[in-house]
Amino acid sequence: MVLLSKSKYYSLYQSDQEKCYFIDFGNKTVKASFCQLLALRQKVNAINITNHFYSSENKHGIEILTLCNKEHLFVLNTSETLDLQALIKDSFISLGLSTASKKTVPL
Amino acid sequence: MKDIARQKMSISVETMDLLNQQITLEAHASASYLAMASWCDQNAFTNSASFFYKQSEEEREHMMKIFQFINDCGGNAISPSVSNINHEFSSLEDIFESALDQEIMVTKSIHNIVKECKNNNDYNGENFLQWFVVEQLEEEKTLRDILDLFELMGRDGIALKLIDERIKTE
Repeated sequence: MVLLSKSKYYSLYQSDQEKCYFIDFGNKTVKASFCQLLALRQKVNAINITNHFYSSENKHGIEILTLCNKEHLFVLNTSETLDLQALIKDSFISLGLSTASKKTVPL
Repeated sequence: MKDIARQKMSISVETMDLLNQQITLEAHASASYLAMASWCDQNAFTNSASFFYKQSEEEREHMMKIFQFINDCGGNAISPSVSNINHEFSSLEDIFESALDQEIMVTKSIHNIVKECKNNNDYNGENFLQWFVVEQLEEEKTLRDILDLFELMGRDGIALKLIDERIKTE
């Protein structure tokens, strides 16, 4: 397996043999197809992180994230959410599908 | 390392994000035209109502074109949610002016995506959007021609009825 990207809490690996990806969440590793990785990116990018700071909508700063068609469920705090956003952004740069030039600084 | 991602997807994720935003914009335009059609129907402007029903269908077709393109490229097309549709208009001219403003907004958005595709060397996206560039020119021209009728024929009484009769429904 090849390490594509690593952040403070998480890592993303590619398996050429299985033609899929593995996201290491620390306490759990999740296997994801490319489509599932793309869906995760969509979900992570849709998170309104400012609500964690300036709104009563999410005063506890908790995000509940389901992955791989609701096969997995994660509860993330603000710091973990920001870290996952950074991992996903960097991963798509590594995959050659993002033209974003700047690497995100890990938390 | 195998390029699995490129095997699965042939546009950049930035282009995909912009196209998903465009889907929402087209869906909003389609719903807005439906509201305009409803106002025209209620106020006995039957040709204008037919015109806006047709416009609404066209905007949905545009939306579906983009939706299918994203999925054909291996991306993740997102079904849009639409809100904040205006149902209140002061006159027939106000409706056509709102329609033109809406088309101008859509044109600007399309041009912005084309610009981003050029900057990112995304030839697939750029090529796909050329059809929309031409289409938007046509859409704006149609509405400008209708707004010219108000200048020529006036804005009250029988003039409005005559303008409505000149609105092409085919």
